[in-house]
Parts: sequence; structure tokens; C-alpha cells
Amino acid sequence: MPASITPMQSDLPWLVFVLPTAVGLFILLVGRFSRWLREGVALAGLAATFVVSAQVAAAVLHGHVLTAWGHTLYVDGLSALMEILGSLMGAVIVVYSIRFISHEVTGDPASTRRRYTTYYALLLLFIGMMNWTCATNNVIMLWVSLEATTFATAFLVTFYWRRESLEAGYKYLLLVTVGVTFALFGCVLVYTAAVPLLGGRAGEALLLTSLGKVAGEIPKNIALLASAFFIAGFGTKAGLVPFHAWLPDAHAEAPAPVSALLSGIVIKVGAYALARTITMFSGYSAVVVFVAILCSASMLIGMGLAFVQDDLKRMLAYSSVAQIAYVVEGLGLGTYLGIYGGLFHLINHTLIKALLFLSAGAVMYATGTRKISELSGLARTMPVTAFCFLVGALAIGGLPPLNGFWSKLTLFLALGDKGLLWAAVIGVVTAMMSVACFLMAAYKMFWGAYRAPAFAAANPHAKEVPASMWGGMVALALLCVSIGIYPRLVYPLLDSATRCILSILGR
Amino acid sequence: MTGLVYGTNLIVTLMLAHLIASILAVEWRNLRWSVFALMAQSALLVGIFASFAFLFPRATHLWGWVAAALVTKVIVIPTLLLTYLKRLPEREVRPVVGLRLSLALVLIMTVIFYRLMHTYVEFVAPTTEALGEPVRSSLAIAFTVFALGLYVLIARRDAIKIVIGIVLLENGVHLSLISLAPTLVETTILGITSNVVVAAWLLLYLTGAIYREWGTTDTAKLSTLKR
Repeated sequence: MPASITPMQSDLPWLVFVLPTAVGLFILLVGRFSRWLREGVALAGLAATFVVSAQVAAAVLHGHVLTAWGHTLYVDGLSALMEILGSLMGAVIVVYSIRFISHEVTGDPASTRRRYTTYYALLLLFIGMMNWTCATNNVIMLWVSLEATTFATAFLVTFYWRRESLEAGYKYLLLVTVGVTFALFGCVLVYTAAVPLLGGRAGEALLLTSLGKVAGEIPKNIALLASAFFIAGFGTKAGLVPFHAWLPDAHAEAPAPVSALLSGIVIKVGAYALARTITMFSGYSAVVVFVAILCSASMLIGMGLAFVQDDLKRMLAYSSVAQIAYVVEGLGLGTYLGIYGGLFHLINHTLIKALLFLSAGAVMYATGTRKISELSGLARTMPVTAFCFLVGALAIGGLPPLNGFWSKLTLFLALGDKGLLWAAVIGVVTAMMSVACFLMAAYKMFWGAYRAPAFAAANPHAKEVPASMWGGMVALALLCVSIGIYPRLVYPLLDSATRCILSILGR
Repeated sequence: MTGLVYGTNLIVTLMLAHLIASILAVEWRNLRWSVFALMAQSALLVGIFASFAFLFPRATHLWGWVAAALVTKVIVIPTLLLTYLKRLPEREVRPVVGLRLSLALVLIMTVIFYRLMHTYVEFVAPTTEALGEPVRSSLAIAFTVFALGLYVLIARRDAIKIVIGIVLLENGVHLSLISLAPTLVETTILGITSNVVVAAWLLLYLTGAIYREWGTTDTAKLSTLKR
């Protein structure tokens, strides 16, 4: 990538979020008439969004940042990275959902059609809202659009409309709404403090790009207070301890593809917002250390709780609490290596955790249970799922030569660089706990002695899931392996994203 | 100059009334009346916004706030709440803290929080204007109302009351926003105010579904997933 970053007017920044939003609304209106108008249109919409995101990425890699609507939309390397990940995962999840959801839902045809329609429409609306979050340059609109991503996903969590899913959806909506309100306070404080620093030009003080330039001059107490508000607010969305209470319930009770979306993309929106906000104040060592402490607590508590779960999806959810902490910890360091490692882990965790949740969904699809203790010897009948889960289990633990290894290594180096050796040690311990936890679960479910009784008697025909489901899983597994063997695959975009964050801060 | 003094006095009076209405919205055990108190609270908030708009005639965007707040806070949200209340029990689920104790707690909390925020306002005031009146008082009020909203979320079990708590919370944030940043542009005003409406509506929708499924609006009973 060229050394200098030049702004360029373009239509892509608004197209990238208006397009999926419009497709989502279209599905909401006409989706009930035919499955092509739901699933087909959803897939076409995501493919188009992916093309637009790829064009954005191409422009970014040529050293541009794209702006539109004055300077209120601003798309740089980090936005391009999120947008590509979002549309890619969205497409995998839609293809997977076609068979998964129709297997799970029974009832009269009219109401099922309505539910499918809402499902695919909300998926597209979520991608639209997420791309808006990643495209906006306005610190308050960042908060507004982040809230909108919560609204779009709340009814995906409650999709089954059972007691448990209603409870999980209610908690999700309530806790994230309340938590994120704190971030609005942070936005207000930073904005107000920046107005006089920018010569009283109020419109400019709203822009993240201008805030980054004067962040160092904001009075220290305001900077620290705002950072605390940002961490509490956007940290709730990201699912950091102690703001994670919504996460395990929502992940466990949502349909498996939605869990993959939640862990893969939704909590990353919180990490994205943190990348845009707390990096401004990473000059203060108090902020860096505070983030490191919080993240270390998240890792230990999240992984510790994952260990004791018998529910496969809850185990994966608690592991997300630990893994998102790696991402945020890296971003909080504010150094090139730290941000690079954090974003690298963001990509890796998206791929790995989506892979694991989709594999868990495949197990549920075939056997009807998600209790690890009730499963055994599945590798015999479900070899593809077993392979995919194993790749995910090894990758999330950070074993070479898989992708998780490189991002965690980068992160540990960055932590050492900053003199936070204790945090690196906690990171290594958590990674080892992950390996143990996931390999144990994988062994029990897929290879453990074929203990026939309860489950085999009830499901004599547990067989491999359809290709539309394992296709996406295999694609994700191959991506994990290829990035692990050849990390330069993602280097250009990651480098650009990291440099774009630092260039906003004038570093 | 006298205009400013009168204006400031008016704002302080409005703010005190706003605070009293907030306490009523928190403590009224009949949910319908609690919603009416919330409506009054929001109307007084709009009054505060309007007097700010008179005080700072250069900040024309403030009238946008007045209009947006009037529509969303005084009309739409209370209407939503009252509509859903028709199908839900009107009496609040018995809270953990009894009425007298709760009232005492809220009053003490309000006084202490207001005094603290008023005295140590420089801790949260990013600019020098925020240290003077009327911004100082309004910031103190904003944070107090925010704290009241948080109290509702922690101490109350009724799902409708929790929505009222969220609205209080957001009203507090919006008041601080107005006092600190009167020059905010229209799109952001629209985004922020409509956000609360959507949040309240979705929560009420889920509350309705939960009531049909479980026969209660007691959020403490939503504990199937606890282990």
C-alpha cells in the first residue's frame, strides 16, 4: 500500500449500507410470496454488497479513503475489512439457514412463511446497519447505528418464540440498550470538549477524523471519564466481563446460524466502535492498563465458565467472551503491533467461531441435542462436521499452523512490547485452557466410545448434514487453514486498516 | 441581562419540577399514573429545551430538539406505553424495596447526587461554559435523572417499569446533551430521539409476548436460563 492516504469522493460509502438495507426492506414487503423472493433475493443482495465492499477494499488498498455526503461518511481500511467480513459471513449464514431453519420450524404454512420472511429481512437489515456503523464518520451516528444493529438482531435471537428464546432476546435487548447508553455519554463528553479545540466549529467536532486530531488536547479527566464510558458502553456490545450477562443466553437460545452471526459479526461491531474511540486515548497509560485488566478478567472468567458448560452452544458463547477480549486488548494498546494483532484476531475469531457455531448447529440438526454429555462417536456418521469442528477447536486454541496462532502470537509480542508481560501470560494461559476445553469437547462428541444408549436409540439415523450446510463450514475451515499457512493473504488489508486508524490519530 | 436572570430562574424552576416528576414516575405503583408522571416529566423536559432555545437564540437547532422531543417523548412513547398497558396488569409487580423505604432512598439519592454533581461539576464539564449557570444545574439534574433511571433498572422487577426506567435514563442523557452541546445538527437529533422510541417499542413488544407466554410481567421470573 502506498505511504500516503488520500481522500476521494465516491458513491461506494453510502451504497454499501443503503443497498443491503433496501434489499432487507424489499424482502420484508414481498418475501412471503415465494422462497426465491426471500432466500434468493437475500443471497443476491449479499453478493452485491460483497462486490461493493470488494471495490471499497480495492480503492483502500490503492491508498485512498472514500468519503461521501460531505465528510459525514468516511470509509477506510478498517471499514473495508468489516464490510467484507460482514457480507461474506452473511452469505455463508444465509446459505446455511435455508435447510437449517426449515428443519427447525413447524406450524401452519402462512405463519412459517411470515417468520422466514422476517428472518432473512432482519439478516439483511443487520448487515445494512453494520455497514452504516462502519461507514459513518459522525461519533453520535456511530452510536445510533450501533444501537440499530442491536434492534435488527433482537428478533433474530427470539426467532423460535419459545420461553427461553424470548427471555434471552429480552435480556439481550435490555442489557445492550442500557449498556450502550453509557457510550452516548462518552460521545457527548468528547464532542463537547472538542468543540473549543476545533475553533468552535460544531459540525467538525462530530467527525471522528477531527476528534482524533485533537484528542490529545482534551483535558485528562474528561478523556479518562469518556474512555470509561466507551469501554462500559461498547464493551457491553462486545460482551466483555463484567458486561457480558446477555451474551451466553442470547447465543445459546438463538438458532445456530444466528449464534454464528452474533459471535462472528455482532460483537465485533462493539470492537469496531472501540477501535474508533478508545484508540484516541491510548496515549494515557491508565486507559491501556485498565483495558488490559478488564480483558484479562474477561479471558479468565470467560474461559473458566466455558470449561464447566455441558451445553455446547453455551460453551462456545463463553469462549467468545474470552476471545473478544484478545481483540479489544490489542486495540486498547494503541500501538501498530497491538492494533494489527487485535484486528487480525478479529478476522480469525469471526471465521473460527462462526465455523464452530455452524458445526454445533450441524450436530443439533442431526441429533436434536446440544448437550455434550449426550453425544458420542459422531465422527463415524458425520465426518465432515467432525473435521470442521476439529479445525475450529485447534484454531481457537491458537495452535500452529492455524490462523489463531498468528494473531495470538502478534498480540503477545505487542503486549510484551508495551511492558504488559503479565497480560501476555494470562493470554497464553487462556489459550491453553481453550485448547484443552475444545479438544475435550470434540473428543467426547465425535470420537468418544460409541455409547449407544439414550441418544442413539432415539436417533438411529444421525447422518451428515446436507451440502448447503457443510459447504459453508468447509469453506470457513479452509479459510482458517489457508490464513494459518499463508498469513500474507490478509496482510494488505490488515496493514491498511491499522495504518488508517493510526493516521486518524496523526501517528 | 435581567432577561438572562429571569430565564435562568425559569429554567431552574422547570428543572425542579422535572426532578419531582421523575421521582413520581419512579415511585407511583399504579403503572398508568406512572406513565402520566413520565409524560409530565417529558413535557417539562421539552419546556427546559424551549427555554434553552430562548436563552441561546443563536443555537437554532435547539428548536429541532424541542419539536423532536415533543413528538417522541411526550406523545409517541407514552402512547405506546398506555397501549400496551391495556393488555397488561396495571398494578406494578411488587418491587424488592417497599414504597416508604424506596421513596426515602430515592429522595436521599436525589439530594446527594444533585449536591455532588453541582459541587464537583468540573469533573464532568468539558468546557468553561459548563461551569456557569444554567448549564451547571442542568448537568446536575441530568446526571441525577440518569441515576434515577438506573435505580429503576436495578431495583424494579416490572417490565413496564423497566421501560419507564430506560426512558428516564435516556431523558437524562438528552438533557446533558442539550446543556453541553446545544449546537448539535438535525440528523443526529433525529437519530438519537428515534432510537429511544424504537428501543421502547421493541421492549414493549417483547414484554407483551412474554406476558402471553408466561402470564406475568415480573422480570425476576425470567430465570429459566440461570444456572
